[in-house]
Amino acid sequence: MSPPLSASEDLNAAALAACAQGDRSALRAIYDRESPKLLAVALRIVRRRDLAEEVLQDAFVQIWRKAGSFDPALGAGRAWIFAIVRNRALNQLRDDRHVPVEDEALEAAAARDGEIDDAYERLAEASALRRCLGRLEPQRRRAVLLAYVQGLTHGEIAGRLGTPLGTVKAWIRRSLLSLRECMS
Amino acid sequence: MSPDEIRALAGEYALGLMDPVAALDVERRAARDPVLAAAVADWRGRLIELDDAASPQAPSDGLWARIEAGIETPSPTPAAALERKPSLFSRLWSDVTALRGAALAGAAASVALAILAGAAYREAQRTPQVIAVLLTSDNRPGAIVEVFADGSSYVAPLSDVSVPSDRIMQVWTLPDRETGPVSLGLLADDGSARLQPVSLPAPKPQQLYEITLEPSGGSPTGKPTGPILFKGFAERPR
Repeated sequence: MSPPLSASEDLNAAALAACAQGDRSALRAIYDRESPKLLAVALRIVRRRDLAEEVLQDAFVQIWRKAGSFDPALGAGRAWIFAIVRNRALNQLRDDRHVPVEDEALEAAAARDGEIDDAYERLAEASALRRCLGRLEPQRRRAVLLAYVQGLTHGEIAGRLGTPLGTVKAWIRRSLLSLRECMS
Repeated sequence: MSPDEIRALAGEYALGLMDPVAALDVERRAARDPVLAAAVADWRGRLIELDDAASPQAPSDGLWARIEAGIETPSPTPAAALERKPSLFSRLWSDVTALRGAALAGAAASVALAILAGAAYREAQRTPQVIAVLLTSDNRPGAIVEVFADGSSYVAPLSDVSVPSDRIMQVWTLPDRETGPVSLGLLADDGSARLQPVSLPAPKPQQLYEITLEPSGGSPTGKPTGPILFKGFAERPR
């Protein structure tokens, strides 16, 4: 991981502090800087552009309201902002899951397999995350990526990979520990 | 928990693999446990590279205006929360995270409850020992439980539930693992109710409260048998 940014280097942390003081231009600055990437992240999870924009809308309102609770001691402002958008997208996705999944949706999901390989391939060559993901057995790497990139649950990953649920849970757990060890 | 267990738990949380109740539990623990909080932050800082690998998408032109409209309401400082504004009620619905801020939750819950319950509440207005905001499985406010010193409680659903004619909502708490769940009473008309005193030890912060759907007349076994509609943990009002 890159060394922690000091408050003066972390533009987003400074902007969050300004948001907490009621400075709207600071929220706008975050929006201008991060929204294209945030929209892409939300879109990978919720799949529909209108829903992804709704996610961003709700998330930015949350960012505004919760800015005062951001703690720079616990990582960069950017990671905090992305976490809020990711959580909102996951909630949106899981709300939709009250509806049973159709065959069509499963086929569309299978067609998205390229997307997770892509996310991995596009990591920087020098990235420790890339190097350490690369050491995982491919199915296990896919399980981790399906969770993070597409927001799938353990059960959905098991279905997608055609692997028993217990196995998927154990894979992910062990993969997390070996990633952690490899990156430290 | 061992360091490995903490790392794995934080990792599963950061990957987004937890159901809402488990995720809420991790957030609550991280707020008190700096080791867990740091482990979550560490995973986020590393995994964000996968977010950066996504191809940027330009948002549509109207999005910023919609965000601005959303922040028109003043930010929920404690002072604002204490003003009895209807907007707070809608905020409760739309912003579960406001409920997660424990300091605000007590005040916000009391205000929403006062709005909801009106005269019945004012009549019985005493300071509850604890307030529990119960969440639905998708993490929305489902009900509020207030527990008073005499063991009585006040329960107000915050979301519509279609209860089949042969079923009833039953309120439970878990004083401790050995005792198991104890019934606080039934919500006869599917609405808010003041429940009779139950002889239990004084409620503690973090005590579990839940509402299940049971056969009319209440659970035949004395323990929850039906699906959980809402669950959440108690906090002392601040």
